[in-house]
Amino acid sequence: MPLVNNKVGDDCTVGTDKVLVDGKAQVDSLIKVVACYRHLASCVGGCTDSLQLRDELRQTREKALKLSVSICNHLTSHLRNKSLPEGQRKEMELLWVAFSSSLELLHVDMCKVFNISDIFSLANTDALVQTGLQGGGSEVAARALSLPDLNIAPNPTLPAGLESQERSTMEQEISQMDRMIDDMEMKVNVMRWMVESHGPQHAEALSSSDSASLALLSVDEEQPGHQPPCQRSNIHVLLLLFAVVLVAATLSVCIIFFT
Amino acid sequence: MTIRNPLRDHGQRYRPRIACLKKAEKVLLEMQDLKTGVKSQPQRLVITTIPHAITGEDIIAWLADRFQVDTQEARSFGSMLVALGYIYPLQDHKRLVIKPDASLYRFQTPYFWPTQQWPVEDTDYAIYLAKRNIRKKGILEVHEQEHYNRLHKWMNHKWDFIVMQAKEQYRAAKERKKPDRVVFDCQERAYWVVHRPPPGTVSAMDYGLDRLIDPNADEAKTPDFYARIMIFTQQSIMRPRVKSSVSLGALVKYCATYNNHDPFLSKCLPSNPWLTDDVTYWTLNMPYVEIPTKMRVERWTFSFAELLSDPRGRNDFRLFLKKEFSGENLAFWEGCEDLKWGEAATMREKAEHIYKTFLARGAPRWINIDGKTMEITVKGLKHPHRYVLDAAQTHIYMLMKKDSYGRYQKSPVFKETVKKAICPEEHHFTDAQLEQNAKKRRPSLSPIILRQMEQEQRAKMAANVDITQLCRFTTPVPHLAVYSGITDFPSANASPSLPFLAHSPACPSPISVALDSTSASERRVEAGEGEGEGNPAAQAPAGGNVSKSRMALSLQRLLKRGCTPATLFASLSPKCHSAAGTSSRIQPISPDQPSQAPPRRIGNFFQIKVDIPPECRIYPIESEDEDEENRAASRGGVGAKEIICPWESLTPQNGTG
Repeated sequence: MPLVNNKVGDDCTVGTDKVLVDGKAQVDSLIKVVACYRHLASCVGGCTDSLQLRDELRQTREKALKLSVSICNHLTSHLRNKSLPEGQRKEMELLWVAFSSSLELLHVDMCKVFNISDIFSLANTDALVQTGLQGGGSEVAARALSLPDLNIAPNPTLPAGLESQERSTMEQEISQMDRMIDDMEMKVNVMRWMVESHGPQHAEALSSSDSASLALLSVDEEQPGHQPPCQRSNIHVLLLLFAVVLVAATLSVCIIFFT
Repeated sequence: MTIRNPLRDHGQRYRPRIACLKKAEKVLLEMQDLKTGVKSQPQRLVITTIPHAITGEDIIAWLADRFQVDTQEARSFGSMLVALGYIYPLQDHKRLVIKPDASLYRFQTPYFWPTQQWPVEDTDYAIYLAKRNIRKKGILEVHEQEHYNRLHKWMNHKWDFIVMQAKEQYRAAKERKKPDRVVFDCQERAYWVVHRPPPGTVSAMDYGLDRLIDPNADEAKTPDFYARIMIFTQQSIMRPRVKSSVSLGALVKYCATYNNHDPFLSKCLPSNPWLTDDVTYWTLNMPYVEIPTKMRVERWTFSFAELLSDPRGRNDFRLFLKKEFSGENLAFWEGCEDLKWGEAATMREKAEHIYKTFLARGAPRWINIDGKTMEITVKGLKHPHRYVLDAAQTHIYMLMKKDSYGRYQKSPVFKETVKKAICPEEHHFTDAQLEQNAKKRRPSLSPIILRQMEQEQRAKMAANVDITQLCRFTTPVPHLAVYSGITDFPSANASPSLPFLAHSPACPSPISVALDSTSASERRVEAGEGEGEGNPAAQAPAGGNVSKSRMALSLQRLLKRGCTPATLFASLSPKCHSAAGTSSRIQPISPDQPSQAPPRRIGNFFQIKVDIPPECRIYPIESEDEDEENRAASRGGVGAKEIICPWESLTPQNGTG
């Protein structure tokens, strides 16, 4: 987003620039938290479901709600400010759209977790679906909460009232989100068809070092038609072999040469 | 945007309940049980092993054992579970079937199970595709790329969000351990294969139309709710019953007859557009095509309804009837259909027009319906509504069906059509051609254009109508002045009626000579004429144009009333001379006559109350006595607001009213 490059020489816009930058940072972190929440939510009901996971979910949820409340206030106050210049307003509206979309995603995820935890109670671990997952979501939760490490002593016992308490808390949080979303829509009128996004259609590839997991995935598929990944992994293997051969040849040459 | 306002929201957006989902969930929970479920084994990959993989044959064996069914059925059941998305294949992930061999499957995590409550969102799909693009550019398949472009266009306002979220999800996934990351990727991929299948595949999640009411919402048990249930059950009880042998026989006959004509059950020539994306079939079977196909023509012989419902067939039939000079039947039937299905605003005019054209005595295209039906119709026309011509329409329909339809099928017109009908060759497309066809798909003609075409057709029809086809019944029969009298009511004048009575018999007499039909209704008319004539005679005509004194007014009315038939038919009746003689009586008023006669005339035979009570009374088919009473009663009460019917031509007053 080009917001950060918006070094307008005008003094009076410096303040609003800061506002924008602030808002953007907050929205970015909300997006991050929502993404992590989704990853954690996908583990619920599976074999790695545990109290710890639920706890992590709860913490992530709280953080997300806190962030969203603050963004809501921030953006609402600025968008209702009629004296906002046009360029700033457009940027604000973009942020607004991003914020409301993340809220929707979070809302759906929360509802899903609520329902799934309804069906899959932790008391009966046999019923949890064997999904093939092995590790928990601790790293993801750590990322969400922006903590380097998550040190939670796992609680072995299951207090009787914990689940129902959690459920009621979740219900409250979900209804709080509903109210916030409704409020948002009532207070600020952002016409979504007027908002234009800046970014490219295709996100650029983040890193090329992910070919390993790609290789894992492609080994799964034994389709003859699915050529490119197989060829790619074949090429990697061949290259590796070639490199090894080369090294061996060099070594042997060195040995012969120096002996 | 998922924010909804439940109060003013009338959109149909709730998916209907897919009842099998809950049942499949139960089965799945049993299946994955460690002790009693399907045996699982670890899946060995290059670097790691991932547990909880199950083989296809194990699944099928377990299902066959659990439900005590044979392997074929267990296999279909297993395939259904895979198609719904509860189990996903690890190899060959795009084909959602169970293979009865050692190919591996895994259970889907509950987060990705198909649910009733939350429809699959396009936002999520966009994020997923963006994530795949991030991982490796160019990995998207053609249909996925198309989806991606389309979503980019429609969700442009949140595209930044989508890209950002995709990146964040990707980074969050990298925090996880490798095997878990692989599993999550497989899960997500399987989810989207189920919910966004590639084109040409059958999706188990197809569910038809969306509903207006949320099936997940609990319905409040209000009195209205129970009232609805009561009405429903009462109506179920009142439904007429048919013996199952009869109804099943009808079903079997229908299936046998139409089996070859169903494009899905049997071969469709040239090719089924839904399967091959080639629209020749539809263009050959357009509503008003010149040369119909053989199958279409064969369908016309199945039943008369088929012939009439097909526009091309109807045209053919119309041509045949034109040659036989009985086109008015079909025209009347079409007019009635138009009345039934048309707009309410023009209903009255249409009813009048139809009456004038087809039903009135001396109408240009008089149709032959029996007296009883005619009475009912005419009575109903006093308070016209959509179904007022139903009885007559049914009569004519039966007439056409029993008589003309048979002759049509033996006629040269039909034989010519059968000879010219085409039978297209079957297409044989290769796979490459099929793909080409799929790419060349275009939307069909817009409904606006289709409607314009239909209107043009109708205009052409109307222009070609041969109104001058007179049949032997088009001689004007004027004595039905009595009917004319019915509509206006004598709000007053018992006293003037006596002298009027003296006049009335005199007037119709010359005309009655001209009578050549003696239906019972007419006889009755004559009987009732005496009393009827007097009352209506005193009735006020088209109001507003008479500003004389009351007495003078009533006298005028009397004279007009009593003698209008005479004057009107004077021009038409072959025996007009005698009638003309009586017309001398009305000479004094004759200057007024021309201006007033048209509106009055109309008022006579066809008075439509504009103050019709909201609930239109539907006159049931009653006995003749009741008819009499009703007629007499209705004479007494109707207000006199007449409608001007611009009726100048041949047929004047038709008292069939």
